[in-house]
Amino acid sequence: MTQKLLVQEWAARRERGSLPLIKLGVWVALRLHRRVARLFLYPICIFFLASSPAAARGSRAYLARVLGRKPRLADIFSHFLTFASCVLDRVFLLNEQLDQFDIRVHGEEIVRAIEQRGGGCILLGAHFGSFEVARAVGRNHADLPISLLMYEENAKKIRAALAAINPRLATEVIGLGRMDSLISVAERLRQGHFIGVLADRNINGKDMVSYPFLGAPAKFPQGPFRVAMLLQCPVVMMVGVYRGGRTYDVFFETLAEAPESRPKDSDAWLDGIMRQYAARLEHHCREAPFNWFNFYDFWA
Amino acid sequence: MKADNTTQTPQEAELARLLVDTLNLEAVASEIDPEMPLYGEGLGLDSIDMLEISLVVSQQFGVKLRADDRDNVRIFSSLRSLNAYIQSHREL
Repeated sequence: MTQKLLVQEWAARRERGSLPLIKLGVWVALRLHRRVARLFLYPICIFFLASSPAAARGSRAYLARVLGRKPRLADIFSHFLTFASCVLDRVFLLNEQLDQFDIRVHGEEIVRAIEQRGGGCILLGAHFGSFEVARAVGRNHADLPISLLMYEENAKKIRAALAAINPRLATEVIGLGRMDSLISVAERLRQGHFIGVLADRNINGKDMVSYPFLGAPAKFPQGPFRVAMLLQCPVVMMVGVYRGGRTYDVFFETLAEAPESRPKDSDAWLDGIMRQYAARLEHHCREAPFNWFNFYDFWA
Repeated sequence: MKADNTTQTPQEAELARLLVDTLNLEAVASEIDPEMPLYGEGLGLDSIDMLEISLVVSQQFGVKLRADDRDNVRIFSSLRSLNAYIQSHREL
């Protein structure tokens, strides 16, 4: 059930893509009340705490940095539980049950302005909190066309999983596996699409650049930012923070307005926006530490 | 002028220089084998490079490379085929 979804999410190396189990999990979750389904998260998290030492190590290392003290077992459990909650809630969000949640949106005017102007934007997210809640807001409030850009391998799995969770909901997932993937992104932007990218992990296997992050240098992929620069579109950071209970805060923040022309000094432009992305991500980590969902040594 | 397999035509040489300049490639423009694949193996370009190529080709030659073109694999298969596509579609 939800456990299988968790396994799906947990780490790429564990993904085996068992669609029948996802379908079963979704079926069960949707028939239980969210509060009842949430009860299952506790044993599931205890199970993962005991059986995934690598993820627990990743959690511990991150929490030590962000909390500035030695993390307790309870902290690591909270970290796992926050992740599990976001995965479970994705089932409800994808099935458009927004009334299950109390979602507070900050910076919605940014999205509205871009929508009115046309020409789309790049929405930069992270493996932090719930990208899904932010996307649900986009769909619900403005009926925005949002496409997600990701690795081809993940794209296939996500497409299948999303279709299993809610077949009615057409989710545009663009895989990076084709040589013309990004030409397709350019065309969608021209049609006013919003293109979502999780910019904290590598999307093309190269061009990693180090920036200060929670007190030590960490590597971020330059790819998503280069795409934004080439396409001269606005860059908006999008973060959905889980606050516990039924509450989410969705933040939209402008990282860069659309450049009028290709920046003369492209390295400086890239450096500026990547530094800002890392700094804003750090801000959100400090503000809601358990929403960080990279359960490996991010600073390696 | 009829080129043999590995000799660039003047147009191909011009396109090679444009690609090397645009993408900051380490390869020497005149040494690029016109039959070598551009994407992945071969010249080692990735999808971001392909995006840059599509933008610069549109800018310089007024030729739009479209994502829904089923021939993209062929068009981007080499310097030669890309040049052939541009030449047959460019605005004069």
